[in-house]
Amino acid sequence: MGQLPATPAKIELRNVTHLYVTPTQAFTAVKGIDLRVEEGEFVCLVGPSGCGKTTLLSLIAGLEKPTAGHVLIDGEQVTGPTQKVGYMLQQDYLFNWRTIEDNVFLGLEIQGIRSKENRQYALHLLEEMGLADYRKAYPPQLSGGMRQRVALVRTLACQPEILLLDEPFSALDYQTKLKLEDLIVETLRRYNNKTAILVTHDLSEAVAMGDRLYILKRNPGQIRTEVKIPDQIRTSLPFQARKQEGFHALFEKVWMEMERSEHAAD
Amino acid sequence: MRCLRKYGWKWSDPNMQPIDPEQIHRAYLKKRSRQHWAILATQLGLFVSFLVAWEWAARSGLINVLLFSHPTKIWTLFVQKLSDGSLLPHVGTTIAETAVGFVLGTLLGTLLATLIWWSPFLSKVLDPYLVIANSMPKVALGPLFIVGLGPGALSIIAMACAVSVIITTIVIYTSFKEVDPNFIKVVQTFGASKRQVFSVVVLPATIPTIVSTLKVNVGLSWIGVIVGEFLVSKEGLGYLIVYGFQVFNFTLVLVSLAVIAVLATVMYQMVAYLERKLTSQFK
Repeated sequence: MGQLPATPAKIELRNVTHLYVTPTQAFTAVKGIDLRVEEGEFVCLVGPSGCGKTTLLSLIAGLEKPTAGHVLIDGEQVTGPTQKVGYMLQQDYLFNWRTIEDNVFLGLEIQGIRSKENRQYALHLLEEMGLADYRKAYPPQLSGGMRQRVALVRTLACQPEILLLDEPFSALDYQTKLKLEDLIVETLRRYNNKTAILVTHDLSEAVAMGDRLYILKRNPGQIRTEVKIPDQIRTSLPFQARKQEGFHALFEKVWMEMERSEHAAD
Repeated sequence: MRCLRKYGWKWSDPNMQPIDPEQIHRAYLKKRSRQHWAILATQLGLFVSFLVAWEWAARSGLINVLLFSHPTKIWTLFVQKLSDGSLLPHVGTTIAETAVGFVLGTLLGTLLATLIWWSPFLSKVLDPYLVIANSMPKVALGPLFIVGLGPGALSIIAMACAVSVIITTIVIYTSFKEVDPNFIKVVQTFGASKRQVFSVVVLPATIPTIVSTLKVNVGLSWIGVIVGEFLVSKEGLGYLIVYGFQVFNFTLVLVSLAVIAVLATVMYQMVAYLERKLTSQFK
């Protein structure tokens, strides 16, 4: 990791440390994080709760400034939220007072790019996700899986180059979750080389979806190891990936690492 | 089995006829509507028997007619004052003052809440002042309003406004703060400015709260206006009450009270209707 690469990575964190200050203490959320994500890569961050996974996403999204170190996108320092980054949260957080259509246009509206063309693109995405009939419906009329799909469209409508996924499946039932995993990977592949970072505590999901994993430990959050996913698992859609040879062995390996990282923290 | 039928449903005994959801639903609706009418009849019965008892007590000399009047006397005076045109101007004045006080109180309260949401520093600075202003009985400020704004409608409106503005500010500000931070995070990831966070998330999310404070404010504005009219006015229902009291015409006092009761209820219902209209899509 020492030598400087010729082309800048899509996302790069250089020796990033972040502290949260409260009246009682200054708490180190993450410490000395170095990571690189190349364009088109799908990277998963896994680790015990409290290891700073969400903090890392907030830093990359520009919602927070690191206490020390540098966060770079395309070789440029991140200073605030940009159009390049789309963020998906644990829950859909759709606005109940807006129709599905208006929820999907939210990002366009805020970024002041609510052109006819962009709106059509958003509606096209909605249609691809099988939600065309719900354009004029309100969020409470939709099921959990449908709502999270709407949230995905809302994020993709702004055409981000980087997608940050903060446990976006954790609130869904198992079947819906598996379907949505496939959908996201498919969508990312179809829309030319989008880069993604997925935060999850579900190891099987991380192995099935990612090209590469970072395993973190807590107190303070630090990268413990990096795991590369072999091609035959990596290139299959998540549902199929789970059936590939070597998936289980890899899962065991990651599991052991996680166990160790959890004990190391205590 | 008879007694089970009474409740509109049956045990699922294979020997009995199959369950008919339609019929069960009909039975349920019938029971509901019967209960509805029973409640309405009782309410009406209570009101009528109260009036009859009052009338009877007054005519039989059980209560002093000079002090407590009686329903027919009140009705006669009401009709008379309505037909000679001496009641409506008072009604108009009071309604206008209440409406203006109510709207101003709500608008100012919302504005103040927005201001302190915008600046956490200001909110901390103003906190003790809001606590004091809220605990203070606003009608006690009456003399100050009169001195400052003159003995007229302006003082009365100021009073109506003062009664509702602080509590509106506190309730709305609290609900601004209670908006789930994740909704704010969603728009912040899109790069929303503070102004956009407010107009796209915080304000729409709190509309139901704002509208429900309207209902409270209707009642508060009536308090402010009537007390204000007690103190200064030459016109209005509050003035009629004080005037009736001074000339010992309690029938007039009771006419005014009845009119206030009806008007305040109508106004409350209007706001409740508005609330249903505005918040139907927030659930």
